[in-house]
This record gives sequence, C-alpha cells and structure tokens, in this order.
Amino acid sequence: MTNPFHYGPSGYNPDVTLTGILPRIRSSYASVVSGSNPNLASSTPSPLNRLSYLLNPATESASDLYSLHPSRTHDMDADNHHDQHSTEVGAAYLGSRAPQLPPFSRAFEMFMKYGSSDGEWSHMHANMGFFTPSYLQGSTYIQKLEEAYRTKESQKEGQQLPGVGLPSIGAHASLGSKAPASHLGMTYDLIERTPTFEDDGSIPPLPTRWNKDDKYGALEVSVDGLEVKYQGSRQNPREQEHEVCGIRADHPMPSQAGVYYFEVTLLSRRRDETTVCIGFLTKNVALSRPPGWEPDSYGYHGDDGDVYSGGNVGKRYKDTFGPEDTIGCGINFRTGSVFFTKNANELGVAFQNVKGKLYPAVGMKKAGEHVRVNFGQKPFIFPIDNYMNKEQEIIRSAIAKTSIEKLVSPPINETELIQQLVLQFLQHDGYVETARAFAEEIQNEKQALRIDSGVPVTGINIKDDEDAHRRQRIRRAILEGDIDRALRYTDKYYSHVLKDNSHVYFKLKCRKFIEMVRKLAEQNSGTSKKSNGHSYDDIPNEMDVDENGFTDKMEEDGLDLQADEVDLLIETIEYGQALHAEFKDDPRREVGKTLEDVFALLAYTNPLQVKEVAPLLDRKGRVAVAEELNSAILSSLGKSSRSALENLYGQTSVLLDYLRDEGGPGSFVTIRSVIDKIPKSQPF
Amino acid sequence: MSSAPYGDQFYDQLRQLVSEALLDRKMTSSTSTATPMKHSFARQVEEVKTPKSDINALILDYLTAAGYPNSAAKFTSEANLQPQQPTSAIQARQQIQTFIHKGEIEKAIQALNELDPSMLDKDEPLHFALLRLQLVELIRTCNNSPNRDIMPALKFAQTYLGPRATTNPAFLEDLEKTMSLLVFEQNDALDASLAALLKPSLRQEVAAQVNKRILEGQQQRNEAALREMVQMRAWSEDAVRKDGKKDLPARIELGLDGEDADKQDGAQNGHEPMITT
Repeated sequence: MTNPFHYGPSGYNPDVTLTGILPRIRSSYASVVSGSNPNLASSTPSPLNRLSYLLNPATESASDLYSLHPSRTHDMDADNHHDQHSTEVGAAYLGSRAPQLPPFSRAFEMFMKYGSSDGEWSHMHANMGFFTPSYLQGSTYIQKLEEAYRTKESQKEGQQLPGVGLPSIGAHASLGSKAPASHLGMTYDLIERTPTFEDDGSIPPLPTRWNKDDKYGALEVSVDGLEVKYQGSRQNPREQEHEVCGIRADHPMPSQAGVYYFEVTLLSRRRDETTVCIGFLTKNVALSRPPGWEPDSYGYHGDDGDVYSGGNVGKRYKDTFGPEDTIGCGINFRTGSVFFTKNANELGVAFQNVKGKLYPAVGMKKAGEHVRVNFGQKPFIFPIDNYMNKEQEIIRSAIAKTSIEKLVSPPINETELIQQLVLQFLQHDGYVETARAFAEEIQNEKQALRIDSGVPVTGINIKDDEDAHRRQRIRRAILEGDIDRALRYTDKYYSHVLKDNSHVYFKLKCRKFIEMVRKLAEQNSGTSKKSNGHSYDDIPNEMDVDENGFTDKMEEDGLDLQADEVDLLIETIEYGQALHAEFKDDPRREVGKTLEDVFALLAYTNPLQVKEVAPLLDRKGRVAVAEELNSAILSSLGKSSRSALENLYGQTSVLLDYLRDEGGPGSFVTIRSVIDKIPKSQPF
Repeated sequence: MSSAPYGDQFYDQLRQLVSEALLDRKMTSSTSTATPMKHSFARQVEEVKTPKSDINALILDYLTAAGYPNSAAKFTSEANLQPQQPTSAIQARQQIQTFIHKGEIEKAIQALNELDPSMLDKDEPLHFALLRLQLVELIRTCNNSPNRDIMPALKFAQTYLGPRATTNPAFLEDLEKTMSLLVFEQNDALDASLAALLKPSLRQEVAAQVNKRILEGQQQRNEAALREMVQMRAWSEDAVRKDGKKDLPARIELGLDGEDADKQDGAQNGHEPMITT
C-alpha cells in the first residue's frame, strides 16, 4: 500500500511536485483548497473507489463521506455524481486544474489512514481535536479553552475504551443514534470529538465546523464538517424556489477572543453567477433567508457584492465574488465592527455596532454551490495575525501611557511606588539579605539625588526582623532538600503552625520521602555511570554541591556505596511505611492520591529518567512546599499571606478577566505576555 | 553495573505499601470555607494563582534592569535563581546613573563613552538631554556661588548646545527655556516649568533615559517588566471602572501598608521619616 501522492501531515504544505507545475501565484491557493477534502473523495474516478473497497471492505460507498441529509437515500444518484466529476478530475491530472489535485491526493490519504495502524488514528485525532487559530495564539481565551479541553480529555480517559462503538460525545446528539458500523463510521466519532464545553459554562468554545443539524435545505456537510454542498435535488422542486439553503456553524463566535475571523472558499466551478452569501447570524434567524436579510443577521453577497444587515436592501460594499474566491469575515468585538476580505485583501468596514451571540453562516441559492470553511484549523490566506497585532498594540500603548501614581493613597511617584512594592515583597517573603541590600541601594540613590545638602535624607530601616530570618532559614533548608532541618526549625519557632496546617505538614512529610527517593535515584544513576540527573535540574550551582558530594564518595570505594545504597533504600522504605501509617486514616482525598503518587516512585529503578514521574522529583517542588510553609507561618503571625506585589498580580488577573467580557480590551493583553518579556538568563 | 538493585523483598514491601495506600483511600474531600463578608472581587483575587516563579522573575528583572547590582546578586543567591546579567554589567549602568543623579554629567558622559563609544553619536536627543542637564547643573552652581558668575554656563551653552539646538526645534525650545534660568535671580519666584528644571526629578529622568538606552543595546528591551505589570494593573482598574459593568470595591488596596505583613517594622511606609541604616 504505497501512496503515490505526496501529502503533508497537516495537509497544508502545498505539494512540492504540484507547485512545480502550478503558476506561482496559485500555490497559496492550492494550499487553501487542499486539506482533507472528502467531497473530492466522492468525486474520484472509479479506480480509486475500487481501491477504497479493498482497503475498507466494510465501507458502503464513497458518498458515505457525507453526513447525509436525513431524507436522502444512500443510492441516490451516486453514479451520476461520479461520472459528472470524473472528467474534471481527469483535467486535474493534466495540470490545468492543478489546485484540485492536492485535495484529491488527500482524499486518497483518508482511505489509507482509516485502514492503518492505531498510531495514525491518534494522530488523526490530535489533528482534529484542538486547534488554535494563529491570531489567538497566546491569548488568555485560548489558554483557558485549551485547559478546559485538556481537563475534559483527561476525564474521558479511562472512562472510554478505544475501539469500535465509542459512545459519541459532544453536542451532536444525532450521532448517538447512528451506530458506527464501519471503519468510516468510526471516524465519525473520532472527528466529532471536537471541543465542546457547554457544561463548563465560563469558556465558550470556538466554532469548529458546520452544524449539519442546523441547516435548511438539501445541504450536505462533509465528514470533517468544513465543506458544504448544495446537492440540487430534483426530487424536491419546492426547495429550489426558496431563497437560500443556509447553514450555521456549531458554535457562536466567542467575544472573549476579542477578534474572530474565518474564511470561506468557493469550490464550485460553475461559470454562471455565484449565489453564495457569507456572514453570521444569531441562533434564531431562519436559515431559509440569505444571511443579512433578517434582523440579527449579517451577510456579504457574492451576486451583487453588497452587504446586508437586517433587511433585503443592500449597502454598496465592494466587488462581487465567485468561484475560487476566498472570502474572509472578521469581527472586532472591542469596536463592534465587521470587515470582509477577498483573496487576502481587506475590503473595509461592512457593519458597525455588531454584538451578540453570532454564528458564522453561509447561504446558497443554486444547486451545485460548494464551499469550504476555515475556522482557524489551518493558516488563513489573509494576514489576520497582523490585524490582531495592531489591535494588541492599541491596548499596549494605552497601558504604557497609564500613570501608576494613584495606585496608593496618597499618590507617590512611580519610581518610589515600584521600589516600595519590591522592598515590601522582599521583606514579606523573608529575603532578608536582599531587602537589606536593596534598602541600602535605594538609600544611596536618594543621597546622590539630594540637591540641597542641608536636608537630611530619610533612611529606610530594615529592622533586624527575627521572624524574617527564621523564615528564611526554614526556606533555605527546604530549598536545599533538607526537610528534617526545616521541620526542626518550624517546630522550634512556630510549633503551632504544623499542627494548624496539616496539609502543609503532610506536604513536608511527603517531600522528605521524595527527597529520599531522589537521593537514591541520583546514587543509582551515579553507579551506572550515567548521570542524566542534569536534565532535571535548573539550578546548576546547587547541583554541583549535590553531585560533588556523591562523586567523591563514589571514587573512594564503589562497593561501600552499594552498601550505602541498600541502607538508604531500607531507610526510605521504612520512612515510607511510617508515612503511610501516619496518614492512612486521613479522610482527605488528595492525601490518598498524593501518597499513591509518591509511593509509586519506588517502582522505578531510576525515576529521574521516567518522564511521567520525574516532575514529582523536580527541585521546583521544593519551592512550592517552601512557599506554602512560609505563607502558613505568615498567616499564623497574623500577617497577610500575600505580598502587595502578589495582590497586584491577582488583582490585575481578575480585572483583565472582567475586561474580556463581551470582547473588551482585556482580550488583547495578558499578564503572561509581560512575564514572557523578561529576558532569560544567558550564559556569560 | 546492576540495573535492578532492589531485591525481591523490596518489591514485596512496595506492593504492600501501594496496595494499602489504594485500599485506604477515602473519597471524602475537604472543603474550604471563604469568609462571606468579603467582596466578590477580593474573593476572586484570592483564587488567582500567583506563581512564585513569576513573582521572583519580576523582582530579579526589576533589580537587574533598574540597576541595583548588589540587590540582584543577593536575590539570585537567596531565591536560588540564575542571574540575568553579570553583576559587573549592572554595576556599570548603576555607576553611570549615579553620576547623573549626583549631577556629575561630564563623568557620566565619559563612562558612557567607555561603555559604548558610538551610543551618543547615534542618539542625538539623548546626547542633547545630557548636555542640557549639564547646563542646568552649571547654572545651579552659578546660582549657588556668592558672586554668581554666569560665564561658565554661558560659554558651555554657546560651545556645546547652541550648534546642536539649531538642528532640531525641540532642542531649541529646551535650550531657550534653560537659558532663561540665567535671567532670574536666585530668589525670584520661577514659574512651575522652569522650577521643575532645577528639581532632582530632571536628573532622575535623564538617568532613566540613559539606562533605557543601554538596556536596549544589551537586551532588546528597555524597561523592567514589573513597571508594565503595575501599569497594567492601573490601566485595567481604570477601564473596568469606566465601563461600569462590574462591581468593584470603592478602593482596591495593594496592601503595601495597612494590614500587611511586616507592618510592625514601619519599614514599608515610605512617607514617614525613618532611621538611616
């Protein structure tokens, strides 16, 4: 089974051999049209169909690639259909219709895929499951959406057995009733597992496909949900008199994204006038009317090039559009304005003051119309990323102009406010030495700035704060992995803290076990002369200390070390048993789960090299425990567990969330983008 | 060497351990209680995770970018972080800033030229800002001297600033304003914009400008992320209030003083005179 055609895994890269015979200008076009194109699978000449039978004996017919209109029967003019298209595909072979070739080969790929190994199934699934439209990369909205998706996916795991007869998931209820009987049927389910988060409430999903259960007229939707075809059914002449056959996407455009954009490519090659209308509308608008003719409905019509909103009188807009054009539709939720693009050119503002839950939609008047949508699964031909960047820049420059002086009352100047935030953090978190050094450096700065030497400079007194010292000592012990020392100090200085914060106590006890396992693993990897422990370490200087300690010993006598190792192992297991005995009756679910996780570490010879469990051993875990303990101590002293800087961080996060509602300006900025600007430490 | 260093006994024990843990696991979950009195905004803020790694990175970035070499070095060691820049590089910037803060502009220009000989040639506005500050300092010296000799300042203006000012209307305006300082007697009431020239904030501004310019050359950015973060906080509050759709407390406190942590020290409250270290 060798595929004679080259195809990229994403279906996006234009075939190299193809672009060779294409006029240059077409290459991007071809890439848009390519991608899994099941329609063309059904229009492939019969030899391929025969091959598909060989590959998938259970396949009923190639036209099954369409989710069928309920009223349509399977055998309906299937032969006609093939004959009609075979000549066209023949032309593609000659190169004159070159853009059609990639979809053709992709169609073939589908057959190959469905008959192949499990690995490729999951690959397919990964491709179809979650996607990030390029312009939303890094946005808080997409990050939250992905989190929700991952959570959902991990919940699904274990509940479901892979294989035929998967229960269908998601909002597409009709699928449940349609028992997948064949390989092709099964792909339905895999592909249908698109992100649907209705029950999560807070994160509205992206439109991912046309909703075949939300259409009017004899429209057929391809198996991937991206293509729609008006299958001119002569059996039903009444429909032809209707104004349009329309279809809505599965989800409304999410305003939290700030900007939403999709592109529709007209695939039909009819030479007469196009009757496609592209736009968006609310859930209740009738799909029998062209988008734009009803209230809460907006559309750009190919036949007259006008835009319509809420009535059948068009507004002069731009060109008409027709076969092989790609029309983009963008909505800016912050400004409420809508623009269209034609073949990557922006056409200007079409509508203003647009808001609401709006679904992408297309309408078509004549049989034979055929469109493909890109909801962001693939790169767009219009540079929407640039548009988004400009929008983000507007907000960024507004932020850069903001004065911060009034954040505290009475207002103080910027430099001083930031210095205070830093100093307060350093003291709050017990960075005693740094706080002292910083106070001194600020002091010197003020001294230097003094113009009248007669005026004394007010100093900053970093009082010898015993608490801060103690907290720092405890923190250091944990960061060095010496949990016993930390427990000793804590018990000595803040004896009630561990009693009152049993979860912190438990974490410390677990961390001790983890540290023991870590030590074992390091010794073990040292013995086998493979110290790969480096890769799990981001603190080289600290590492040196650890490593040297062991290396020295090792060089002295390898055999003794073996004995040490056994001792440590026994010690670890004994400690593990004691730990278990201490917490086995703990009613908290997470305690049981954590115990389970940490005990499982012992099952690996070198857990540092097992990527599933290595994160548990990571030194970053020490920081988390240290900070939790520090917070607990602070609370016990009646102090705020958070520094002002952390308050500020949290407040900003919530405020930006507020500003993301209804596509507000918060959609265009993230805290992450600020943090990510911090240069990484470079080797010097 | 041995790839399976643990004996059978170990695995028996392990199995026992794991199975016990599995058996004993109880499905009840603990619930946390929130204080009902709190404003919903405050509760939402509490729920936000504020990763220490982010906070620490912000702090180190600030100490580095703003030019506090000793603090940055201490912080990398106390918080176990990798330095962003070598201490010497931060020191070099701090040194130049200190010269400017002190009004020793000539020394600052010298140090700057040692650090990057082409910087001032390439950045005319920066060069002009420094020379203009130097003129201000000369005028200050002259004002403070008993015989009030304006000649050094005049000469400096004619030699260094005059020729440059003609190339750029903004320079000219700045120069004219600065020169008018010479006209007033020391005890005259100056108008606000003129008085501002004699305040330390001008030195601070120029020093910050120079620091930004050096940072740009070193790290492709010119400001600490912390400042943008604080601005984002101020901007977002303004925007939410202006929008008026969400309920916010009358005032959102940062907690710099008030209820906060090391309040007993009295160290946070920058407004009050405190003991010099």
